[in-house]
Amino acid sequence: MLARRVLLIVPTLWVIATVTFFLMRLAPGGPFRSEREIPPVAREQLMRKYGLDRPLGEQYARFLSNAVRLDFGVSYHYPGRTVREIIAEAFPVSAELGGWALLLAVLLGVPLGVVAAVRKNGPADIGAMSVALAGISIPNFVLGPLLVMAFSLGLFLLPPALWQSPASRVLPVVTLAVTYLAYIARLTRAGMLEVLHQDYIRTARAKGLSEGRVVFKHAFRLGVLPVVSFLGPAAARIVTGSIVVESIFAVPGLGRYLVNAAFNRDYTLVLGGVLFYALLLIVLNLLVDIAYLALDPRVEMA
Amino acid sequence: MRDHVFFLRGKAAALGVARGATVLGFAISALAVLSCARSTAPADGGAHAASYFGSLRPPRENVLRYTNGPEPETYDPGIAVGQPDGRVARILFEGLTVPNAQTLAPEPGQAYRWEISRDGRTYTFHLRPGLQWSDGTPLTAEDFRWSWLRVLRPENAARYASALYPIENAEAFSKGEVRDSTRVGIAAPDDSTLIVRLRAPTAYFLFVTAFYTFLPVPRHVIARWGDQWTRPGKIVSNGCWTLESWRQQDRFVFRKNPRYWDAAAVKLDRIEAYSVEDLNTVINLYKAGVIDWTTSGYIPAPFLPFMFQYADFQHARFQGVYYYTINVTRKPFDNVWFRRALNWSIDRDAIARDLLKGTRDPWGNFTPAGYPGYHAPPPIGYDPEQARSFLARAGYPGGQGCPKISILINTSEDHRRIAEALQQMWKRTLNIPVEISNQEWGSFMQATTQKQYDIARRSWIGDYLDPNTFLGVMVTNDGNNRTGWSNARYDRLLRDAASEVDPVKRLAMLSQAEAILLDESPVIPVYHYTINSMVKPYVHGIYPTALDTNPLKHVWIDHDWKPGAPTLAGRP
Repeated sequence: MLARRVLLIVPTLWVIATVTFFLMRLAPGGPFRSEREIPPVAREQLMRKYGLDRPLGEQYARFLSNAVRLDFGVSYHYPGRTVREIIAEAFPVSAELGGWALLLAVLLGVPLGVVAAVRKNGPADIGAMSVALAGISIPNFVLGPLLVMAFSLGLFLLPPALWQSPASRVLPVVTLAVTYLAYIARLTRAGMLEVLHQDYIRTARAKGLSEGRVVFKHAFRLGVLPVVSFLGPAAARIVTGSIVVESIFAVPGLGRYLVNAAFNRDYTLVLGGVLFYALLLIVLNLLVDIAYLALDPRVEMA
Repeated sequence: MRDHVFFLRGKAAALGVARGATVLGFAISALAVLSCARSTAPADGGAHAASYFGSLRPPRENVLRYTNGPEPETYDPGIAVGQPDGRVARILFEGLTVPNAQTLAPEPGQAYRWEISRDGRTYTFHLRPGLQWSDGTPLTAEDFRWSWLRVLRPENAARYASALYPIENAEAFSKGEVRDSTRVGIAAPDDSTLIVRLRAPTAYFLFVTAFYTFLPVPRHVIARWGDQWTRPGKIVSNGCWTLESWRQQDRFVFRKNPRYWDAAAVKLDRIEAYSVEDLNTVINLYKAGVIDWTTSGYIPAPFLPFMFQYADFQHARFQGVYYYTINVTRKPFDNVWFRRALNWSIDRDAIARDLLKGTRDPWGNFTPAGYPGYHAPPPIGYDPEQARSFLARAGYPGGQGCPKISILINTSEDHRRIAEALQQMWKRTLNIPVEISNQEWGSFMQATTQKQYDIARRSWIGDYLDPNTFLGVMVTNDGNNRTGWSNARYDRLLRDAASEVDPVKRLAMLSQAEAILLDESPVIPVYHYTINSMVKPYVHGIYPTALDTNPLKHVWIDHDWKPGAPTLAGRP
């Protein structure tokens, strides 16, 4: 039942929160260490201010009771900024970048996969799959600088970084999309190939339906299922920000924050970020399951 | 007071994931530099036609666009730490004195004149008449007193409160030992007079007052908004520019402050500071002409050796030393001969020449170069013969019986290369086994502060133009010492120097102290930091300075600049 799945969200988040909380505390060093010594008085004050001088159990209890109210406190690294506010400002940027990238990946990847499946072993298949293989093989930290070199520093067509004009979105979106695009194309091809060999497709063909009708009306719905299940976690990953793409293109998204937060031992920001990411992942997976329900008549919500 | 270099190192280590991954990216971009980077002045510019790196189109407006490094932690001047924070604070606020853009010598700022008492302990500052905050509220001496006390109040936990410790009772007040703020040596007898009483004559006090921790903050705004006071729309400032907008991890936009006392002299109508920490991204932005200035420390290491050919590259020493600390509480490092052997077997010239390709200067002193009037003791040199004899005196002739020693670095390719050079040199000259271990930033900091290491990488950047900012680090039990080294004569020399009024005698004492330090060798200096930055030729007034700070008040954009134009004032 859907209700049960929804109810499971709470204990799942609790486990994640607890594990993250204690793992962070186990990491050596603390939030207030720097190359230049912080005077002991100041450090004590800081610890007191953020409640870090309290026993760990008490800190944990307070963290949980605040987290229930979606209050993750203030960042230790950026005094005066709340975790909520940081996520609220950075997440939309990551989401926009990821949203465009995902859209691009789906709009190009799915047709590419379908064409490859229908023209199996033909030149179109080989061409499309070579492109896909290249796309999967080239990591974005290579592709990004290559695109910058060509389009920003060579042709002066697009800005090399910073998130401002629509033109500045092009390179990061493409860089982020390529891997997903390639993956989706391969998944679509595999899914379509499997479906095209099934009995009901043979039946449809035997009935004398046109190839186009067979592919798009009957095969497609089931053939893209692997893509749909991929999209859930992919969407969660892509919209919470890619540290690499965000760094290369100086995109003010959440990915850069979260990675730095862990290194800065910014406990509150890490916990807020992890829980936010977990919730997003759970919700998107749930949506995938619901989409399955709509697409595949064989699936029932267990 | 914290330098951008460690800051950057910290961040660089922090970004380890991305950074390790971008090695290939480095290579690719480096290729780009070599292949198509040059925009050469026209041939009629003559034989001295300078070449520049990338686009040369000045912006149409009077705007300076630069990358400010990692996202500032805060830009509240009283609690700011680190170079990116400090730069934003200095754009917004002006202190009693302002540093000269080239020499950093204190010049009148909010105070138009000051007197120093004969004993060197009382400074009387006279504020300019009619000073205002950017909202029109009058700015008075009380604002300074209040701002400085705010930094000292323990509950505010300002990390750089110690910058104010030269002031009488400031330390005791900040530690909660003195509760009465009137006992702190800061008095504002009237709206335009600020009297500061020091605990000892502090020769460099006017340099210190130019530091961002001493900038005034608007108490009427803080009273109203609390820790939200720095937000755009709320913040009120007194410097050349005010904050127009801020987007986290992205940019600050500053607009000229019409209420600034010397607004007519301020040429830049706007400043845009981008929070970009990826070195490759910075250089790409510069090359494409999106930014006009990179600030120092943001040119990727593989690019550096190639930048010397460009006329828009700024390269000069500044007050920073890269060194290794030795944990003298462990064996065999408690033996001074062993430490000397380690120190004298390092070929610093080779490291600077072959490894760093001339981008840094070899350095065998603990204090950096260029303190006026300071005669540093002879540096630690490279002498394999002598090093071997030191090692024998330590009880390990020919390296025999020497336990394996370990070098600790924070994870970074640059640090690893230096550590490997040391490893090889010690192996070759002294025949002692050395291992290198690396830790990410947080763990590294813990290990070094708790002395859980043999030899660790470290660097120090001066806060003000005086050797004291370096030598003070090695005083017994100073929080920054981290070696366990303690020397009574050294401590006494530093203490005596602090109360010495005669500048010649004082500097001589400091020089003696440094000689003791070098002789005792708890540290291994390696190289002298340098400023490495790119400034577009149409930007005037940005100079490499000894503390790597850049007052921007007089910076202007030459809209008519053309390639081939003679090198203009304002470039080194």
